[in-house]
Amino acid sequence: MENVLANFDLVLKAFWLTIQLALLSGLVALVLGTLLAAMRVGPISVLRGVAATYVTLVRNTPLLVMCIFVFVAAPNLGLFVGMPFLLKGTIAVGLYTAPFIAEAIRSGVNAVHLGQAEAARAIGMTFGQNMRYVVLPQAFRASVPPLASTLIAMTKNTSVVAVFGLMEATARMRDFVNKNSDDTMLIFLVFAIGYVILVELISFAAYGLERRWKAAR
Amino acid sequence: MTVTDEAPVGGGTPRSGEALVELADVQKWYGQLHVLQDINLTVSRGEVVVVIGPSGSGKSTLCRTINRLEPVDSGRILVDGSPLPQEGKALARHRADVGMVFQSFNLFAHKTILENVTLGPIKVRKQSKAEAETRARELLERVGVAHQADKYPAQLSGGQQQRVAIARALAMEPKVMLFDEPTSALDPEMIKEVLDVMVDLAERGMTMIVVTHEMGFARTAANRVVFMADGRILETADPETFFSNPESDRAKDFLGKILKH
Amino acid sequence: MRLTRLKVAAAAVLVASTLAACGDAGSDDDKGIDVDVQEDAAAEFDEGTRMRELADGGTIKIGVKYDQPGIGFKGATDDQPVGFDPEIGKILAADLGIAPEDITWVETISANREAFLQKGEVDLVIASYSITDERRQVVGQAGPYYVTGQQLLVKSDSKIETIEDVKGTEVCSVTGSTSLSNIEAEGATPRGFDTYSECVEQVLNGTVDAMTTDGAILLGYAAEHPDELKVVVDPFSTERYGVGYSIDHPEMCEWITETIEEAQEDGDWAKAFELTLGKSGVDTPEPPEMDACS
Repeated sequence: MENVLANFDLVLKAFWLTIQLALLSGLVALVLGTLLAAMRVGPISVLRGVAATYVTLVRNTPLLVMCIFVFVAAPNLGLFVGMPFLLKGTIAVGLYTAPFIAEAIRSGVNAVHLGQAEAARAIGMTFGQNMRYVVLPQAFRASVPPLASTLIAMTKNTSVVAVFGLMEATARMRDFVNKNSDDTMLIFLVFAIGYVILVELISFAAYGLERRWKAAR
Repeated sequence: MTVTDEAPVGGGTPRSGEALVELADVQKWYGQLHVLQDINLTVSRGEVVVVIGPSGSGKSTLCRTINRLEPVDSGRILVDGSPLPQEGKALARHRADVGMVFQSFNLFAHKTILENVTLGPIKVRKQSKAEAETRARELLERVGVAHQADKYPAQLSGGQQQRVAIARALAMEPKVMLFDEPTSALDPEMIKEVLDVMVDLAERGMTMIVVTHEMGFARTAANRVVFMADGRILETADPETFFSNPESDRAKDFLGKILKH
Repeated sequence: MRLTRLKVAAAAVLVASTLAACGDAGSDDDKGIDVDVQEDAAAEFDEGTRMRELADGGTIKIGVKYDQPGIGFKGATDDQPVGFDPEIGKILAADLGIAPEDITWVETISANREAFLQKGEVDLVIASYSITDERRQVVGQAGPYYVTGQQLLVKSDSKIETIEDVKGTEVCSVTGSTSLSNIEAEGATPRGFDTYSECVEQVLNGTVDAMTTDGAILLGYAAEHPDELKVVVDPFSTERYGVGYSIDHPEMCEWITETIEEAQEDGDWAKAFELTLGKSGVDTPEPPEMDACS
């Protein structure tokens, strides 16, 4: 099992894990990020404080530190011990990405005309309804480009878990490089192209959404 | 900012149960600026009150206090006998009963015209989708934009958008309608189509508080004209009296400038 | 666990440090074996040999690992690295008349051992340095002074006894290492980490079922936690540790080979093992047969 092309199934398997990580982490980050953004623009000062603290704390912490906490420090405290590695990776990358999503959405919320929220309040919507039906849908539309950048960065960031027990694309690449130092260039190309394809998929999706929502903004 | 319900009820005591909107001793500051001073105003059921005055007189702010889009610092505001609630679900319920039309239309940009009108009834009034749509189509028919139902707001003219905004407010079956300079952002040729809808509404007996510069509308549709300047109500009179024989110098000055145009 | 507090603190503060797992490894007071430093050693070597130069100079630079307990380890507060490899280094230095305190220790990691020898940054590499044909193209390797093979480090109460038992279990090692590929081929789920010490942590806290790499390295960790960890499974690969030297000084091969053979005979090799890897509780093995120099 030496050549990277002869063992392409291993490459695909590794990228499949990268895709799973990206999808799951992306889901966690989007849900949590949206919640944080809503808390930050909301009327309850305690929640505003909690969200602001979380965003400040996590956004200023390197992903590696987050991973060391989830994969190394937490198990020593008896946390996450029986948890599957994929889930731990999802927690680390998802929690880390959430504040960036929150900030992207918050910038989108700020881009939504104040009159929109006012009109929603005027027909008797509660803060939650206002967010859910009026402000956030428009904020998401305005946030598509920064959200896409954040998700692209996140997809590449999944590579950090290569040194925390997950045999995803980067770990597999290291494995190949270690075994065939002659093929280093080819191995690099194969894995770089793999990542490029993933990132381009996100870009295409963002482009499609932007076009679809053009009329409704 | 707080509304003190204990504030003394001033001269605007309701006239034997027919008062629908009542403001008593309302005060509001923006920092040092006293934007609403000793406001006492009672609007009866079915009455159409037009608020006029120079810009910066506080007339828009007054309009917006009635559904608490602007909180006041002191005084009492009652709608249909009950005081304005603080923020929260009760305030949302209150607002559902008070229709509002904005200067800049504020249609929900990501919703179609039909969805703009049905969103409130479905989510706030908990009507079924079919019920809300039937009613919405009736209202859009009434304001003359039924054929635009599936378009997005950005695809409509300003006049059409404002008529949709009126339909959106009406869909909530409000007790009173607030109009905050509804024609100020419109091109002249579109003003009439909006005013026609408002006159029609007035004739159907809707209680309306209208902040506007349209003196023609005030003459034809208003029961009363309220003149404001510097955050105070300076004059209240029927349109005929007000326009032919204003009492205060500020009002004379204001009318002089407006009517010369 | 006596290390818990240190581990938590270390893990919280820093990145991928070997300190996390190793705590007090290497802080032991024993100074290793007492070597007999040759007097007037220079006279024993012919003029022009590298050994003569080193003996005349009175010092030698030896590259060892600083992060492998039992083999080559230096704690943050330690002056000298300790382990089986440094002991071999002391034996060799003594033969040149160089006392242990005159040795300049240099940390070498797996990736820089050839380069350090080629550039003369070190005179010898004794750093769990497996003898391979590829390496012998670019550097000299005398030995083997120790033979080990890939094994498994498991908790004392683990049910894993043979290599067949790893199927379906999670086994960690260093990301990208050959050991990790090998264990994957045996049907285990590979769990790559940045350092061995992080990997040991995963075994200790029960996150993974086993750690795999050269048995010698595993023995070092087992020696640190003799009650909690044990090394199992017959070696399923062969790693022959050699002493690396510059290919420009082929004369060093005979000297290294003879000196280590002497130590194997007079018991210094066995003492070196007992004081280091032997602490894990394993019996001292028979010293391996050294290759002939070509």
